Amino acid sequence: MAISLLENASLLMLIFHSLYCISVSNSICYAIELEADVLCLKTIKSSVRDPFGHLNSWKFDNTSEYSICPFFGIECWTSGENRVKSIHLGGMRLQGQFPQGIENCRSLTELDLSGNNFSGPIPPNIGGIIPFLTYLDLSVNNFSGEIPPSLANCMYLNFLILDNNKLQGQIPPQLAQLYRLKTLNVSNNLLSGQIPEFFSLSLSSDDCTGNLGLCGAPLEPCKKHGKKSNFPVKFDVWIISGFAVGYVLSTVLAFGLCLYTHF
Amino acid sequence: MAKLERAFWALLSSIFLFDLFLPVASNAEGDALNALKTNLADPNSVLQSWDPTLVNPCTWFHVTCNSENSVTRVDLGNANLSGQLVSQLGLLQNLQYLELYSNNISGRIPEELGNLTNLVSLDLYLNKLNGPIPSTLGKLTKLRFLRLNNNSLSGGIPMLLTTVTSLQVLDLSNNNLTGDIPTNGSFSLFTPISFQNNHLNKLPVPPPPPITPTPSAPSAGSRPDAACLALETT
Repeated sequence: MAISLLENASLLMLIFHSLYCISVSNSICYAIELEADVLCLKTIKSSVRDPFGHLNSWKFDNTSEYSICPFFGIECWTSGENRVKSIHLGGMRLQGQFPQGIENCRSLTELDLSGNNFSGPIPPNIGGIIPFLTYLDLSVNNFSGEIPPSLANCMYLNFLILDNNKLQGQIPPQLAQLYRLKTLNVSNNLLSGQIPEFFSLSLSSDDCTGNLGLCGAPLEPCKKHGKKSNFPVKFDVWIISGFAVGYVLSTVLAFGLCLYTHF
Repeated sequence: MAKLERAFWALLSSIFLFDLFLPVASNAEGDALNALKTNLADPNSVLQSWDPTLVNPCTWFHVTCNSENSVTRVDLGNANLSGQLVSQLGLLQNLQYLELYSNNISGRIPEELGNLTNLVSLDLYLNKLNGPIPSTLGKLTKLRFLRLNNNSLSGGIPMLLTTVTSLQVLDLSNNNLTGDIPTNGSFSLFTPISFQNNHLNKLPVPPPPPITPTPSAPSAGSRPDAACLALETT
């Protein structure tokens, strides 16, 4: 009797404990899900090297309630909610690769990492991880590799500033789909190929200078080598065939004249 | 003697008139703020220092003035206030910051706020405001922050707001707004984040180009869930 009572009691305790655990973990889950932006900044700080301590104000205690909005370089949407709108970390001599943890800052619209020592590629999936960017400044760093075509997914981009890096390859033609683009600066990189024709953006040559072989407006037109422009080849063929025909004709004419005068 | 007497009375009456009208000019702003106080319920007594018998409101808590004793800031965020806003707020000609966020203020946004030509920040978010966004807010040519999110505002987004070129931060999310989302003028800088959780017509979305899959494992959505999963199993 006593044993079954004990069993019942422990069963009840087990059920209660499970319910408690589920509700607590749910609330912690909710808290963690709400604080994605905190995770975003935490992973940014841990993935970059900060030799001059500019991110020292980015403190992450173990308490569940704290605001990241007063952090240096951070602007939140409203006070009281940890939703990051802008990250401005220009000129802080930071090092490392592009901080991938930024994908958790889901309300981010402005990112400025200019004037640092960042290296490596711009993530190829950047258009997927921060799709609401209106302002992206990665200039004056050591970013290498190609400009990701997925940047075309950042359809709200107004300003794309990539100058003074080591970016190579072509400017992706998909970037011409960025209808809100007002400024594009790719000068002083290692880019080559045809500059895309943009919808509502007029590029100046200052935006494109200092590259390996960029061509097309506003720079010199690209030299044509493909199927579309075989005119030079045709021209050569015509000259040669013209000479050949002329030679044959004049030979026949001369021979004919010769025969005529003799008969 | 008569001339001297007349001159004396003229001087006295002009001093009297001067004294009569001088404090009235600054008191107009104190009166406007007092009208607001009368219209609000203040259980935390944050407006206790708002004494309308003082010559100007510049010594009141949560009120900031400039060197000419004219109100430039009203900071009443998170003050547990309820009640309604008043049209007299439009009389604060030098007001730059109107911070009334995170309260329980109901009623409409007064059209007269469009007269605050020096306004830089209008924060009415997290309240119980209803009615439309006044199109007069489009006259605020120095406005940088317009945060009306988390209210019960209805109607459309006034097109005149696209002419406010100084606008940097716009948040209209979590309301009952309807109609189209402007994309021209200053609104070129605003993304769906500024408009989410309304009944607005969706922005036309061109199909995204194929995104190359990332080599690293966790995606944006799964990281918090993975953490939750780990917790639930312990």
